[in-house]
Amino acid sequence: MKGKFSSKVMVLAVAALALVAIFAVPALAKDTLVIANIYDARSLDPIVQNEVAASNAICHINETLIDLTDDGRPMPLLAETFEQVDSRTYKFVLRQGVKFHNGDPFTAADVLYTIERAKSPLGSAIKQYPEIIESAEAPDDYTVIIKIKYPFTPFWGTMAHTSLAIVNKRAVEEKGDMYPLEPVGTGPFQFKEWVKNDRLTLERFEDYWGTKPAYKTLVIRSIPESVNRTIELETGAIDIAFRIPVSDVSRVKENKDLDVIGGFEHSVTYMGFNCEKEPWNNPKVREAIKLALDINGARHAVFRGTSLTPVSIVPPTIKYTDKELPAPKRDLEKAKQLLQEAGVQLPLKAQIWSNSYKPRVDLAQIFQAQLKEIGIEIEAKVLEWGAYLEGLKVGEHDMYIVGWVISSVDPDGIFSGIIHSEGGSNYSRFDDIITDALIEKGKTMPDSDRRESLYKILQARMVELNPILYLYNEENFFGVNKSVQNFHPSPRGYHNVTGVTFK
Amino acid sequence: MSRRDSPLLKYIVKRIFSLIPVLLGVAFIVFTLLYLTPGDPARIVLGEQATEEALSEFREKEGLNDPFLVQFGNYVWKAVTKGDIGRSYMTRRSVANEIMSAFPSTLKLALSCVIAAVLLGIPIGILSAIRQNTLFDNITRFLAIVGLSMPVFWQGVLLILLFSVKLRWFPASGFDTWATLVLPTLTLACNPLAVITRMTRSSMLEVVRQDYIRTARAKGQTEQIVIWRHALGNALIPIVTVIGLQFGSLLAGAVLTESIFSIPGVGRLMVDAIKMRDYPVVQGGVLFIAVAFSFVNLMVDLLYAWIDPRIRAQYR
Repeated sequence: MKGKFSSKVMVLAVAALALVAIFAVPALAKDTLVIANIYDARSLDPIVQNEVAASNAICHINETLIDLTDDGRPMPLLAETFEQVDSRTYKFVLRQGVKFHNGDPFTAADVLYTIERAKSPLGSAIKQYPEIIESAEAPDDYTVIIKIKYPFTPFWGTMAHTSLAIVNKRAVEEKGDMYPLEPVGTGPFQFKEWVKNDRLTLERFEDYWGTKPAYKTLVIRSIPESVNRTIELETGAIDIAFRIPVSDVSRVKENKDLDVIGGFEHSVTYMGFNCEKEPWNNPKVREAIKLALDINGARHAVFRGTSLTPVSIVPPTIKYTDKELPAPKRDLEKAKQLLQEAGVQLPLKAQIWSNSYKPRVDLAQIFQAQLKEIGIEIEAKVLEWGAYLEGLKVGEHDMYIVGWVISSVDPDGIFSGIIHSEGGSNYSRFDDIITDALIEKGKTMPDSDRRESLYKILQARMVELNPILYLYNEENFFGVNKSVQNFHPSPRGYHNVTGVTFK
Repeated sequence: MSRRDSPLLKYIVKRIFSLIPVLLGVAFIVFTLLYLTPGDPARIVLGEQATEEALSEFREKEGLNDPFLVQFGNYVWKAVTKGDIGRSYMTRRSVANEIMSAFPSTLKLALSCVIAAVLLGIPIGILSAIRQNTLFDNITRFLAIVGLSMPVFWQGVLLILLFSVKLRWFPASGFDTWATLVLPTLTLACNPLAVITRMTRSSMLEVVRQDYIRTARAKGQTEQIVIWRHALGNALIPIVTVIGLQFGSLLAGAVLTESIFSIPGVGRLMVDAIKMRDYPVVQGGVLFIAVAFSFVNLMVDLLYAWIDPRIRAQYR
């Protein structure tokens, strides 16, 4: 009996081994890329929202006529060639043989439809982009002529923005209200599934006109907690984590399976003065504050040595930035002297406003201590975002800390937005005729040495008049699994991962 | 042949109609609070770089320039006559769709928490009552206090560090598989578990002192039947009440837990909507929570009738 039992066991064991051998599948090549962002897109319709999370998703599904290099030069995308015919006219010759995800051919009619739709009331969130377009015509199926209302050199940035990513007219009209949830484009990925606030799943578009992604599925997850993004990266649940906090960088670097990639965006964070309010309307007082602060030291402390202290209002990633401008040096004696010359009564009570973003709160607290040394007593006031914007609009503030992203990838983007007297975000209420005239001139000049000189003059003027003080160009960190190759974060703030491959 | 009116049905219909003034009151309070909250929805929704023209168009289109009572009146009129509780400023989807896409996650989490809390809390509470003042009872009461006092955020992160990072047993975020349900449930169920345990214990202690329990024992009933049939049945009313309250508040969405574990539920939806001044979603969300809470209360009241024959008799 024992022998019979032993042979039964032997047979079973051999059979089990055989099954394992037959069905054991060699490890498959990785075919899914999982990335984690902080926020989920609110809509996948390019014209509904102007936000980075949406652009991160949309740039894989829908494409623009042109794209920009990291330093802001236009390059072909859906337009095979393009040219500026005159100061207000642009011609785009479209790529032929391009298909939408629903099989429709891409033609000039889709471009006209996209522009018309973006300019309609539906596009109120992105209005600042298409509003410069006066007309768009299609002399044939693969040519588009766009006329703009006035000469505007940053127009290439406008055309490369995801708000003008081309949509398919039939898909939009057929899907109606569902379109923002089930978009259709010409991009390398097509929509598969979206669980809002959890994950967006895209699949490789097999009829894509360009180089197809090396992997089949892209999953974009939204994980608001930075700790969790790092943890999911460590456990292998995600391949790339966007915006891991500075405090996690060394931990991720120490992990043998992970890498950290740093990158700067086209952005600057600054502290502005309310230039309509005393004593901040006096340039000597603003200069005194600049001299009393150790901005570089504060930045170093808050960001643990990462990020950069800017010398110019124009971030270092944008063309014409003047890297030769002098870095501010702390000089308490000079600061006190300037306050005296300006007739400021000390001690002076003032507020620095910020929203709850921790680095800004930390900086305000550091400045509080530094300004005390020259007799200025600062209250660091943290406001909820909506109340903050409201207060800035009304003009109750003394000093405030905010950031600015230059989506047009052109220096005009920052000057027109926050410095021009009619700039929508000129919370400093800065009003200088010469500065305004230079900004208006720079907007229309074609890219050239003269334009560069103009912006250098503007940057120097900002350093002289100090309506704002530049605090930091934030360095963003991305945690990446070592199996991932060719991930290059973009300074535009949203990152196309089509070119990523796996080892 | 005359039709017999069902008192139970009448009661249910009466409760449904009584929701109307409740919802009106809730809508008015929320509307007022949003109106008074600083922050321009147009600027927040459209972003800092929006043009003045776009901002004005938005305010005009959404009726934000109208007087307060006109805005409120329009809202109520559209809700009552067309069932339209508005569109999200952010996504342009109907508020109903926004809430319905978030609610299943919240419902899943709420149900799993309540089931876990009930399955554990009631037996532990009963045992604690039977073994009053023993070591078991003291430990249970201590753990209940700990469960009530522990901050959810801290607890969630600790569980992630242990079970996701160290042991790799469960994922740290997401909500698509049963495995992703475990840690959020453990995090969120502690509080209702503690409440249900304590309520069960105190309710049982009150009941086991009653004469009919002594009579049941005197008749020679087994202790198991005395406790589970005679005692628990009579102790259930307050226990069911707290279960209902706990479930109702879980349906409102557990913001902290949803944030820690990246769960796309009602809590996160509401907090985002408040931050972005997405008034229609905030309004609609609060109304939905009020309806859900009222519905749970109604179910609890009907459950009383099922549990207690004295209450059931009133509906005959």
